[in-house]
Amino acid sequence: MTGGQLLQAVLTGLSLGAIYGLVAIGFSLVWSLTRVLPFAHGDIVVGGALFAVLAIVGTTPVALAPGAGRSIALVVLTLGFGVVLSVASYAVAVRPFLDRAGRGEDVLGWVAGGMTAGLVIRTALGVALPAAAYAVPDPLHFDGFTSTGSLALPGGGTVQVRVFPVIAVGLLAAAAVDRFLLRAPLGRAMRSIADDPDAAVLCGVPVERTVVAAFAVAGLLAGVAALLAAPGGTIGVDYGAVLGLAGAAAALLGRLGSPRGAVVGGLVLGVVQQLVQVTPSLGAAWSELVPLAVLVVVVAARPGGLRAPRQVAVE
Amino acid sequence: MTTFAADLYLLVAAYGLALAVSYAGLPMLGQGAFVAVGAFGTTQLASHSVPLLIAVAVAVVAAAAAGYVVGFAASRLAGSSLALATWGLAWLVYSALLFFPRLSGGSQGLTRPVPATLTSPGLGVEIVLEPWVHAVVGGLLVVVLALVLIRADAGPWGLDWAALRTGPALADSLGVPVQRRRRAVLAAAAALGALGGAGTAVLQGVVAPIDYSPLLSLQLFVAVLVGGTATWWGPAVGIGIIAALPTTADSIATAAGIDPLRARAVLTAVLLVAALALRAPASRLAAPYLRRWLSRSRPVPVEAVPAGDEVPTPTGGPLLALRSVVVDYGAVRALDGVDLELRAGEVHALVGPNGSGKSTALRVAAGVIAPGGGTVRVGGATVSGTSAAPRVRAGVARTLQHTAMLGRLSVRRQVEVGARARDRAPYAGLRHLLAAPSAARDRRVRAAATAAALDVTGLSSRAADNPDVLDTAEQRLLQIARAVATGASAVLVDEPAAGMSARERDRLGGILRRLADGGRGVLLVEHDMNLVGRVADRVTVLAEGRVLSTGTPEAIRADPAVARAYLGVPAE
Repeated sequence: MTGGQLLQAVLTGLSLGAIYGLVAIGFSLVWSLTRVLPFAHGDIVVGGALFAVLAIVGTTPVALAPGAGRSIALVVLTLGFGVVLSVASYAVAVRPFLDRAGRGEDVLGWVAGGMTAGLVIRTALGVALPAAAYAVPDPLHFDGFTSTGSLALPGGGTVQVRVFPVIAVGLLAAAAVDRFLLRAPLGRAMRSIADDPDAAVLCGVPVERTVVAAFAVAGLLAGVAALLAAPGGTIGVDYGAVLGLAGAAAALLGRLGSPRGAVVGGLVLGVVQQLVQVTPSLGAAWSELVPLAVLVVVVAARPGGLRAPRQVAVE
Repeated sequence: MTTFAADLYLLVAAYGLALAVSYAGLPMLGQGAFVAVGAFGTTQLASHSVPLLIAVAVAVVAAAAAGYVVGFAASRLAGSSLALATWGLAWLVYSALLFFPRLSGGSQGLTRPVPATLTSPGLGVEIVLEPWVHAVVGGLLVVVLALVLIRADAGPWGLDWAALRTGPALADSLGVPVQRRRRAVLAAAAALGALGGAGTAVLQGVVAPIDYSPLLSLQLFVAVLVGGTATWWGPAVGIGIIAALPTTADSIATAAGIDPLRARAVLTAVLLVAALALRAPASRLAAPYLRRWLSRSRPVPVEAVPAGDEVPTPTGGPLLALRSVVVDYGAVRALDGVDLELRAGEVHALVGPNGSGKSTALRVAAGVIAPGGGTVRVGGATVSGTSAAPRVRAGVARTLQHTAMLGRLSVRRQVEVGARARDRAPYAGLRHLLAAPSAARDRRVRAAATAAALDVTGLSSRAADNPDVLDTAEQRLLQIARAVATGASAVLVDEPAAGMSARERDRLGGILRRLADGGRGVLLVEHDMNLVGRVADRVTVLAEGRVLSTGTPEAIRADPAVARAYLGVPAE
């Protein structure tokens, strides 16, 4: 393998990882406020992308660059569908199963609720978009930086030019959320609920509204992830489940509940996956298994994430 | 006939999953993965000229082993993590099948001749496995499984499962070996899943990855959820609905002009919603009839309960002793060299301001927290570990600070869960299943202990009641009854008077006194100093993790250091 190919794998992995990171932040945020794992989160990403495409382009999308008006409409609708689907999944699949403290004690309930929400999104999309995968237009025109949409790397190997803006936008969005959680009053309210919902209530934090806002933020990030991920290759109705699980794996590589850990976990996961893919003895099939295997192993070994402190037994 | 036989095999897998989900309360989402192991394992092995029955057996044992490994990891996990891990597993196995055609035969799948034949040249027998043979085999399996489940649920395992699905901490505090039970349940669930998968593979002669997608896991999960908690008929009803799904879906698909697989997914989603909405009402409606019909908790005739119960006679030394115990929570030192002794026949009160370390000391004594320094001795032997269950069998049982009921089990059954800790012979559940004489003996011991515990706590008249109708005081007493029923000679009670009226406190005081007079040692953590003054023989005062003072209630009341700890130092 040449150095150029290695660089190509790392760059592609970082752009994939930036997307995982955004999914992971949303996953993590929802978990830390409600102790519910959002099983439908990956489907919300795909739902954001494909519902917007359905609304603007129709049932037979092609990957032609859209005009300015359509581009703006696609961006707004993708983000909007992400937010709407996330908040709707809260109302339908999470809220009914929270206990009085606002925590998900009824595990069987919200697991089934999340599964249902995901299945409903997949099914609704699948009826309108029956093919296995679609190439969709890129409203952000990331391929327009070079005439071919790709860039030759020193030492051989080429990389899609869109990986650079994807990495940049992904990291910027993650940084913005991090700053929002640290500085903004609403972000601080979210962290207070994550720490202790009862104490947050006593301090006058409007818990219900704040939790809805957190789901909206998670949905917005899902929308950003959709904008970055969908036009990169092809996207299918069923991609959401695995994407959500990859996001969960990324969140667990850090510490569940930590946005920075989620981003770093996502980048690591993306790069490892690409490196596995370019390793001749392993290849694409093994690379598909990486996020799922990481998820299963990490959950079993350290349920709170790799960087979580070992838990003290408290009843 | 082929479809019917396949549905029966699916029901076998569903019974396996029901054991984990609706009996033990473990949210397992990956049953499809184990079904796939059975189906592809059997087909692969048989294609390498392994005799068919041996192939099935190997695949089932392999799946059971895999389930045990999952259980090994999962036994420590919270429900949410277990759900995530098993859902990940379902996708991992499916992806492996999709992306490794050598494993699965690619999208076309693997095929083998149907109907399969079983030949034994030695005996000169040849059995052709026609679909009706499969239906008979599947039907027998289902009937046997349902009967085993009903019988097991009425025995010691049923008691353990009820504790497991309520909460691991509570189960542990009652002496249930939580991790061992979880591992066993998941291994059994996986094995039954693989058995169902193997049967289907042999029946249909073709196994393709698409039939073992995570949608299968989800459908099985729905099927099990439909029937509600711990019902033997639930999986059958669920699979019946799932079985009707393809034909319904196909007709909808033709009518609406959509992909049949999509239509199936739509119906599964609708079912999932319905199952969620209906799971509580369905079992509430059906349960009274079925329960009366089966009389699950048939009271066992109680033969002469020995007076004063049967507490092991004290050997003179303390029942329980903490020596220089140190506990740190991160940077906070919760206990700093605490000495504490509990003798037989005494009520020993542990008091102190909030945050002084009372509950921590109690947890160290109960075995939930391993001390960072110092020793804990039970009946003269040093003990260690971070699980309460072994400590219960050694003779130390506690109540939890918050009241937790064991689901909707009757009061008598709840106390019987505690009495489980008295079963001395191993494999009590298995021996009950086989109706061994020793199991009947254990059962009588449990019944007697249960009756005695109900009697001493004054709950005998409530024995048949549902826990929902108990008031707060009675729920607290039920906790004590459960701990007493374990047969522990040292009973640790954490703030039992919380939420009780003055009269109820009097009654509680009398009960604690009676327990001590009967030969037990009672360690009482309590804020109500009036109650402490009335019932305690000795009082230990903790402040900031240290023992401030020990003595009779009168001596403690007169101690100026205690007054300072409670009321603060007067300003100069």
